[in-house]
Order: sequence, then C-alpha cells, then structure tokens
Amino acid sequence: MTSGVPWTWLGSVTSSRLNIESALTGPALSPARAFCVVRDRVPADVAARAASRFGLAKEGAGSSRSTAAMLVAEASRDTVRRALDQNSFLTVELTELEDTTGAIDGDWLGAPPVEHGFYLSLTTGTAYGMQCAVLVCDELARRGVLRPERRGNIELCLHEAIANAIVHGNMGIPSSAKEKPEGYRLFGQLLKERLGDHDVRQRRLDIFARWSGDSLNIAVVDQGGGFDTTALPEQADGGAHSGRGFLFMRALAKRVSVTDGGRCTVLHFDL
Amino acid sequence: MEFEARHSPQLIEVRMTGRLEFTDHDSLPDIVALLDRPGLEQFMLDLSDLAFIDSAGLGMLLILQEEAEQRNAKLVVRGPRDDVRRSLDLARIGDILTIEY
Repeated sequence: MTSGVPWTWLGSVTSSRLNIESALTGPALSPARAFCVVRDRVPADVAARAASRFGLAKEGAGSSRSTAAMLVAEASRDTVRRALDQNSFLTVELTELEDTTGAIDGDWLGAPPVEHGFYLSLTTGTAYGMQCAVLVCDELARRGVLRPERRGNIELCLHEAIANAIVHGNMGIPSSAKEKPEGYRLFGQLLKERLGDHDVRQRRLDIFARWSGDSLNIAVVDQGGGFDTTALPEQADGGAHSGRGFLFMRALAKRVSVTDGGRCTVLHFDL
Repeated sequence: MEFEARHSPQLIEVRMTGRLEFTDHDSLPDIVALLDRPGLEQFMLDLSDLAFIDSAGLGMLLILQEEAEQRNAKLVVRGPRDDVRRSLDLARIGDILTIEY
C-alpha cells in the first residue's frame, strides 16, 4: 500500500534527454531543478521512481521554484493550468502506465531549464481537445511575456503547429485524406480511430517556450513519422481543403523553422 | 464549436458559436445533413458569434460550399469578426466564398 505525496518537492535533477534548445537561443541556467507532484494521490513509489529516473538529489536540495518540474497525472485542463501556475520550468503529464505502475519510463523529451521559459509535455490523448495554444498563451500572458495586442497572431500560429503535430504527426493522418471525395467523412473516421488507439494516445506533444526581452521562440515537437519538409506549400491551392496551416505560420511569425525530419516546428516571434 | 439551425422553405441558416477547429470534424456530417432539403436555395452560415477559426475550420467552410453547390444551393458566410475575419482574410477565402461583413 502506497501513500500519497501531496505537492512534495523531491529534489534536483541534473540530466536531460533532448537538445531541442539548440533551435532556440539564449544561455541555460544551472541544470539543477526540483520536482514536485501536482496531484495528491500520486503514490509515493511513483514519486520515488521519478526521483530515481531523473537522478534527483535529496528532497529539496538545490531546488528553486523557477526551475522546478511538475508531474501531472490524469491531466485535465485545470490540472495543467494549476501546474503551470507554480512557475515551474517543466510540466510533464504522467502516462497511464507511469501512474499505475510507477515505471516513469515515458519518453517525454525535456530540455535544460532556462529562467525565461517553460516546457510542457502532454500525451496526445490529453492534448487533443485541450486547446493547448490557449493554455500556453494564457501562461505566457500570466508571466508577463505576451501583450494582448500580440496574442491573436501568436496563438493562431501556435495552434496550427500544435494541430499539425497532433493530427499529422502523432496520429499519422495525412492532409490528403481530406481531398478525396467525401474526404471529410474519411478524415473524421480516421480521427476517431486514432483517438481510440492506446499507443497513439500515449504519444507525446512537447511544447517549449522561451523568451528574451524582445523575442519569443516556441518549439512544438511530436513523436510521429515526420514529413518531407521540402514539400511544404508556398501558397494555398485555391479551394483545397487543407494546407493553410503552414501558410498562416509563415505569414504571422517572424520565422518558422522545421527540424528533426518534420517532427519539430519552431516559431520565432518579435514581442 | 456548437451550432444551431433554423430554416424556411428555401433558406437554411446555421449559426456557429465558440471555436471552429480541427477537433470539430465530427460536426461536419451533421451540418451537411441539414442541406438535404428539397427546394433549398440558400445556405446562410452566420459566424458573427464565432470566436476563432483555424485552417482546418476554413477547410470545413470550403467543404460546406461544395456540398451546398452539389445541392444547387448557394453558401453565404455572414458576419465574421475579429480573429475569425483575420483568418478568412489571411487565407483570402473571400476570393472563393461569398462573405457578407
């Protein structure tokens, strides 16, 4: 029988698994950061294994809220918002497997913590329908990064990048499905099928926002099969039912870069 | 996105509220089914209370136009505002659809 760990600081972590910060600029802080658990029924052994996986030191050692990480289980919109409210750097949704077995073996990516940034990792099943772009922009506004007059364009760009990552990336549904006769019915059917696929639901959507005085960069990363980045459309094809997402991003962002074979889209904005 | 519909013999009007985005594909067949009315001439899509539309939502508007044309009805988009109008303008949807501002 395990006991709950309500909002417990677990220690500092010194390792990370991915280097997407190379696409973003600016110096990293000390890699030390703390973990805590958002939900009070996350078992103690899950917390202990999280500490073990990330090489955590003794509880509370070297921690600061600005570089903390939150583990979120059974993430709802309110739960994620509550986690972000803690001003942590990392906010990671535990997978169902991690939550029930304490395995802590999800392949969420992570990045070295930075003072002016945050990193959100959700499963596809959770991210679908959560309106993640609204959530992220709310958080950027709450942290004083995003002015109301800049929000509309940035939120649309981020929404398009996230939609691509979820639908075409993690769900593996091609845009071409919409262009067939009655393609919208096929597309809707594929969405329903993929949302019912456990493995698809567990694939991760990672969002890394980082800012300096006058610029904001947001990376959106998926775990799909990628795509041919040279085949992106330069303009929409008349009445085509798809293909405008990247056009929106290119029109509204200062720059859009796509790396990792199409799995990572980085949006660059002036603030 | 949520929608409500009202109709007269030659006209059907659908008013959308909320956000029209990629997660709303499952609503599309329900809207298309509304067009299956003998004698329908005009399909009015009222977007004045719609707060957001993404590129997938724009694609849905184009699909609705095609479905209306197949039934010899004309789609008119009415009243897009703010962020919705921004997206329509950005994609130059006005070159393809009839929009009443």
